[in-house]
Amino acid sequence: MKILIVDDEQLARTRLRGMLQQLNGYEVVAEAANGKQALEASQTHQPDVVLLDIRMPGMDGLEAAEHLSKLDTPPAVIFTTAYNDYALAAFKTHAVDYLLKPVRKEHLQQALAAAHRLNRAQLQAISEAEARHAEPSHISARIKGNIQLIAVDNIYFFQAEHKYVTVGYSDGEVLIEDSLITLEKKFPRRFMRIHRNALVAIQHIAALEKDQQGHCHIKLKGCDKHLEISRRHLPAVRKFIKHH
Amino acid sequence: MLRKRLTTNCDDLFLPDFCAMRMVFVVVIIAELAAFVLALAPLELPLTERWNNLGMISLYVQWCALGSCTVLCVVRPWLCGMSNIRAGLISYALILLVIMLISELAYWFVYKPGYGETPTWHWHFLLRNLVIGALISGPILRYFYVQNQWRRNVQAESEARLQALQSRIRPHFLFNSMNTIASLIPAEPQQAEDAVENLADLFRASLSDARDRIPLGEELDLCQHYLDIEALRLGDRLQQEWHIAALPQDALVPPLLIQPLLENAIYHGIEPLPEGGTIEINGALDNKQIVIIIRNPLNHHSSQTNARGNQLAQDNIRERLAALYGKHGRLQIESDEQFYQITIRFPYQNEYEDPDRR
Repeated sequence: MKILIVDDEQLARTRLRGMLQQLNGYEVVAEAANGKQALEASQTHQPDVVLLDIRMPGMDGLEAAEHLSKLDTPPAVIFTTAYNDYALAAFKTHAVDYLLKPVRKEHLQQALAAAHRLNRAQLQAISEAEARHAEPSHISARIKGNIQLIAVDNIYFFQAEHKYVTVGYSDGEVLIEDSLITLEKKFPRRFMRIHRNALVAIQHIAALEKDQQGHCHIKLKGCDKHLEISRRHLPAVRKFIKHH
Repeated sequence: MLRKRLTTNCDDLFLPDFCAMRMVFVVVIIAELAAFVLALAPLELPLTERWNNLGMISLYVQWCALGSCTVLCVVRPWLCGMSNIRAGLISYALILLVIMLISELAYWFVYKPGYGETPTWHWHFLLRNLVIGALISGPILRYFYVQNQWRRNVQAESEARLQALQSRIRPHFLFNSMNTIASLIPAEPQQAEDAVENLADLFRASLSDARDRIPLGEELDLCQHYLDIEALRLGDRLQQEWHIAALPQDALVPPLLIQPLLENAIYHGIEPLPEGGTIEINGALDNKQIVIIIRNPLNHHSSQTNARGNQLAQDNIRERLAALYGKHGRLQIESDEQFYQITIRFPYQNEYEDPDRR
């Protein structure tokens, strides 16, 4: 069984690796120090199980698990955590595997034997219980079965077209399956609704422009696209720009 | 529910709750004592007459006292939001108003019809009552204020202790340290041993240190032990810069004055950064003032300024500094895009200069 160890602390990784060596039939294919590396390593090494620390800098374990679940063959995930009573309760009620640090060898063995894949509902429940106020650091898009990560900092806008949402970011555009409403909820502080079909990144707003027909557009820093502001959202957008 | 909210909002007001039975009782006792003084004072009267006067004076003083009590009870929710000075002045004015009203009533309904007293006597009577009322109620209000300040200081100190205890046993820190030690045992037993010793020192300091001041050198050692544990866990991500040669080791400081600030710096500054960063500890002795500056890089996604745990520890230290040093103990926060910096200042006192130990 192929295993990926993810923890931002070197010593914590070493300890898990040592324990897995003592158990039979497990091979550590890679180690990662944060969620982003974990996702990359998962695509390169195709592990069966990921031992995933929750509190990590950059992209944390819960966000990584969410992106991992979009892979064609997502690995089973076992969370490792030092302590968090709220999240622990959520783990228990939603039958999600978790290990408490310092991890015991017997528990590791049992969890590995029973490891299974996570579904969205479970992840959602834990994220809520964990009450993270940090917004996700990345958006994941599936491209030919692979997951491509886009840093939220680099995103200019989300625009809904038919079934998909176009993400405009520093390297071009890509389609994702999330709805605008979910995205709006996920990033309440960083994106602003300007139209029924569009959200723009607050930090990239350059100016508000009016064309000859009297329609208002948002001009974005570093992006040529001009997005229309609907009449309904105009007052709120104006007010916002005035205050920033 | 509403009543409960009002009383909890009133925690900052120095006046006790005059709606409470216990408080009414205290006021009645104080008023009666004042009545005794007033009745006993005039030497020119024979003792029996003074004794007879006591009944009348008590009646009058109790009316004033209970009247003031009722008014203060009623206006309490309204006074809550105010500064202590304002609330104090308003209460003082209200008490005098109550005294004036009762004096007026006494004149119009008792003295004028009963004894046929003149208008001149009336003004004299009114002025005398107001002056006596002002002289008695002023110090009482002042007493409530002082008592309230004292109670707040005691509370701040005990909360500080509790908070220190809780934050030291911040479960994450404990279990992460245990995990680190478990990882070190097979390969680096010596380091594991050091870590256990450091952890023991930290816990000893927070669990059992009953001293109210410790030498600064001891506190700094403790900080070093704490950072040693975190350094094992965070590896290269944690860099430390100490510039503390100028600090006098014998300066007396409240225990756990600096360590919680370092813990915040790690938790909010270093841990959220994938590449880590440097914690700087600078100390200086500036004209008999000790200045300690702690600086950490800032992760722009997690706002350290608003984080609850951060706030708690800072408020706590600020209050303790204020309790110990008054306006000479200060905590300042500065932050820009990249750095977060806390400066604490307090007077340099060592064992020979400490006013408490002379």
